Amino acid sequence: MNAASLIARKEAGELVVSRRGRAWLLTLTAVLSGFCLLLVGDTELSLLDNAQVIYDMVGIVTGLGALLAVIVGIDAIAGERERSSLVPLLLAPISRGGIVAGKLGGQAIAWLLMLLLSLFYLWAVGSTGQNLFESVVALAVLGTPVVLGFGFLAIGLGARMGSARVGLSVALIALILSASPLLLDPSLRQSAIGRAFDAVNPISGALNAYDAVIIDSQGLLAQTGHGLVDLVWLALTLWFATASVRAISR
Amino acid sequence: MKLAIPLLCAALALGSMPAIAGPLTIDLNPSAANPVSPQMGDQLMFHSTIRNTGNQPIEGLIAWISLLEVDQGHEQPVDLEDWSAQKAVRVRSLAPGASVETDWPMRLIQSGDYRVVVSAASREGAELTPSHFADLTVRSKPVVESRRVLPVALGIPALIGATFLFRRR
Repeated sequence: MNAASLIARKEAGELVVSRRGRAWLLTLTAVLSGFCLLLVGDTELSLLDNAQVIYDMVGIVTGLGALLAVIVGIDAIAGERERSSLVPLLLAPISRGGIVAGKLGGQAIAWLLMLLLSLFYLWAVGSTGQNLFESVVALAVLGTPVVLGFGFLAIGLGARMGSARVGLSVALIALILSASPLLLDPSLRQSAIGRAFDAVNPISGALNAYDAVIIDSQGLLAQTGHGLVDLVWLALTLWFATASVRAISR
Repeated sequence: MKLAIPLLCAALALGSMPAIAGPLTIDLNPSAANPVSPQMGDQLMFHSTIRNTGNQPIEGLIAWISLLEVDQGHEQPVDLEDWSAQKAVRVRSLAPGASVETDWPMRLIQSGDYRVVVSAASREGAELTPSHFADLTVRSKPVVESRRVLPVALGIPALIGATFLFRRR
């Protein structure tokens, strides 16, 4: 097993098995459960179309995944620095790219677990409706680059910023800005600024594709434009994270 | 007075006729496969035929579907964002006597009483041509069932929470 895999296993273990890891799992499921209970407890919400409910839940899972990736990504480098364990890590016989890959491997495993947990909730609220299977595929295909991209962004910011708090603040502001389409209806984003924002925003790309696949029953393959935004986001953040970790000792 | 009576009769006669809006006619019909009593989540289909009854081609024709909610106290046009994937059709040129047929799929999102209408206009025409209304009533349907949601919403956090107790021993 190479060093990157070892780091990934250690990170995943901390994220999934440790007390801290199970605490965020509990938080994640509490948020999803709260949304579900709102749906059954509120007459108006209980009449929402199935597809709309699935779309909302898929958006929430993506947002929560990105939030987790940001928090864990900041901790990956900036947290190691504050715990004085960064230098030993950098001196270990592993490339900087390997460190980034290992750190992100842990996040990817945590995201996979989130996806698996969300399946129960998606089934609970959407199994009598349409496009449940398509929604799961869309979440996996389009949500994954968004979430991992935010993980890369946070790793890069953690490496560049002197303080984990500053890095976390910047990353959270970026996430809140990017996730604003979760609250703003597409009709509210029809201005030139809104369209330009949607064209470059990875969460907009994912949400617009979810909308098309889940609500409008369009094919996933027809969403290449939205998927491209997410892939460009992933590539740029990967470059940023790798370059930032390489620049640590310079 | 002699003149006023024929004029009044003519006005009444004109008022009882269908609106004449240029050389277009639009026929709108619900599909025979539509459910008799549709409910939320159902897919309906409406079929329109737009015919050029004039003797000149109509250039740059555009037709679109609209939905009006007519529940008492909630009368309003409905944003078709999530209701219909087919919101408009464009025809570059419609020759005299020619017609264009369009299917308008619609997924029922919200309960209530509605009127569907297809309208058409052209690049140069001065008037809007509407179809007749197709009326429908959408029954409500609770889409989120508590017997499926509650076990998941309560059970999964409880299971994860239980791992804290299990690990502590």
